[in-house]
Amino acid sequence: MIVSIAWKNFSRQGIRAILNVLVTALAMVAVVFNLSLYNGFQAQATRNMIRTDVGGGHYQAPGFDILTPTEWEDTTHKVPSALKKLSSAEKAEVLVQQGQLYPNRRLYPVQLRGIDIDQTLLDLPLDGLKKFDAKLGDVIPAVLGVKMAKKAHLKQGDTAVLKWRDRNGVVDARDVRVVDVVTLVNPRVDEGVLWLRLDHLRNMTQRMDEVSWVAVDEHHGNVDGMKFQSVEQLIADILYMIEQDRRYAKIFWVILVFLAGIGVFNTQILNVFKRQKEVGTLMALGMTPGRIVSVFTLEGSMAAFLSVFLALVLGTGLFAWFQSVGLDVSHLAESTIPVQEKVLLEIHPDEVAYSTVIIVAIMILISWLPVRKITRLDPTLALRGRAIT
Amino acid sequence: MDTLVKIEKVVKVYRVGDEDFTALHDISLNIEAGAFMSFVGPSGSGKTTLLNLMGGLDKPTSGNIFFENINLKDLNRTDLAEYRRKNLGFIFQTYNLLPVYSVYENVLFPLLLDGEKESAVRQKVLDLVEKVGLSDQVNKKPAHLSGGQCQRVAIARALVKQPSLILADEPTANLDAENSYQVLELMRDLNRQLKAAFVFSTHDEKVTKYVNREIGLEDGRIIWDKKRDGNGVLE
Ligand SMILES: Nc1ncnc2c1ncn2[C@@H]1O[C@H](COP(=O)(O)OP(=O)(O)O)[C@@H](O)[C@H]1O
Ligand SMILES: [Mg+2]
Repeated sequence: MIVSIAWKNFSRQGIRAILNVLVTALAMVAVVFNLSLYNGFQAQATRNMIRTDVGGGHYQAPGFDILTPTEWEDTTHKVPSALKKLSSAEKAEVLVQQGQLYPNRRLYPVQLRGIDIDQTLLDLPLDGLKKFDAKLGDVIPAVLGVKMAKKAHLKQGDTAVLKWRDRNGVVDARDVRVVDVVTLVNPRVDEGVLWLRLDHLRNMTQRMDEVSWVAVDEHHGNVDGMKFQSVEQLIADILYMIEQDRRYAKIFWVILVFLAGIGVFNTQILNVFKRQKEVGTLMALGMTPGRIVSVFTLEGSMAAFLSVFLALVLGTGLFAWFQSVGLDVSHLAESTIPVQEKVLLEIHPDEVAYSTVIIVAIMILISWLPVRKITRLDPTLALRGRAIT
Repeated sequence: MDTLVKIEKVVKVYRVGDEDFTALHDISLNIEAGAFMSFVGPSGSGKTTLLNLMGGLDKPTSGNIFFENINLKDLNRTDLAEYRRKNLGFIFQTYNLLPVYSVYENVLFPLLLDGEKESAVRQKVLDLVEKVGLSDQVNKKPAHLSGGQCQRVAIARALVKQPSLILADEPTANLDAENSYQVLELMRDLNRQLKAAFVFSTHDEKVTKYVNREIGLEDGRIIWDKKRDGNGVLE
């Protein structure tokens, strides 16, 4: 009986109920959308870093720090045999050194990054370097990222003078030819980076067998003389950045939930406020306080569950559409954030679950509390519309 | 006649801000089963308060109200709801119909509260709707009815369970003369047919012609109590 009364009341409320349900559903979709978009950002950033640089972690030469170029020369290490024996799908040997490029007679400090050309661990579009001999000729072949090429005003086929120092600190200079300009989804391996064959860079610096680090597919145990840096350590700064951003996302989430709550609260309070005479009448007709509270709470629950259902329908549509177009992030092209491709949503079921539960709980709670309050007061107050003012 | 309601030294004090205001002073009276009577008096004389106390919607500050030997004082909120559901019908000045329900559903509602199945009582509800002259309006919502029609729905709703006491607080106050007479006649007929006691509050003189007993209230005190004598004269 209570269910059918609640359903009658709910389904005959008309436009107000529909609006209430719609607003709540939209708020739920917005909340989940917002969270999922951040997940998408984070996922792409992590993926791009892993794909182009991090792999499953680095075995670094002792003391190496990518952020202090002046020490790169002193922080190299011979590849330990334990790593050397790994296949080219399991490891990528990398040597980085400082260099100075003189495109159009301007000085441009660069990171010379030599990478084992046969490696397949990282996904780098360096095929342009493959056709060259391991033995270094008169001109050094190099690949540039799009951003680097643009900054240095270089294009495919251009040459520029490169100066560097070898193992003994002797400065050497030679022409570099840009054999390819490629798109790199991680600006950190693009801007200021001159990609070279590892064998060439070793030859140039007389650092046979030396690396700054060896990227590996996974941790292969302790390796003498090398320090292992996990994926988390290597992407810590970017995760930190996103986490900072996420904090805003969380604040945004709280605001959205709050707004949704206020909206629902308002309509429900207004609803009960307008209906307190009805509550009084029900009391006069002899409906017990418990039953009256049940009816109103059920009405609130019906609204809540209909909202969830509508959110599911609207959300599925919106998300499907969004996944087909993605979020354009061309405005990030100039940034160093490794998010360069369209961002897609990553939906985490746990986030969906708790967002929904919170909003549903708010809806039910505020259809329950005011009515409970009214039924605890004199029926005469409700009948005169004075129980809640 | 048997006593239906016994009011014993009832005092009602309202607290308004820091001040106490005595709305009813030491009221005692008996109401007989099947009575057709009214409380009359100017606005603020305590009519509504007295009806609310009898209806268990409010509690006296002191004194007792017995309904068929039940002392209302002994009932908690849920018991009072039960008491109203089983024994009372209310008719309000402002009708207080459930707005989303049709005429039929409004009249049916008290039976559903009693746990009746709709199919079992459908005919009874329709008969009563006919009795109050609303067969043509049976599926309309209150918003589409006139004041007189709404009050007739409210009367049907109050009577559908054949309670022994109907409390009607200024039932004709919002109605024009014509509708007032119709409603009063309807209630008198139903009083005779169904034996339910009707207790009105009113300051409408038209009511006087119909009732068998009239009690004057002023400032929360009974100032007179007239019953219709053998010649049909109130005194
Ligand atoms: N809930 C209340 N709180 C304070 N005063 C009240 C309340 N209800 C009624 N009163 C006062 O009690 C007196 C009697 O009111 P009421 O019974 O409504 O009179 P009537 O129905 O005869 O007009 C009035 O002075 C009114 O202001
Ligand atoms: Mg009154």
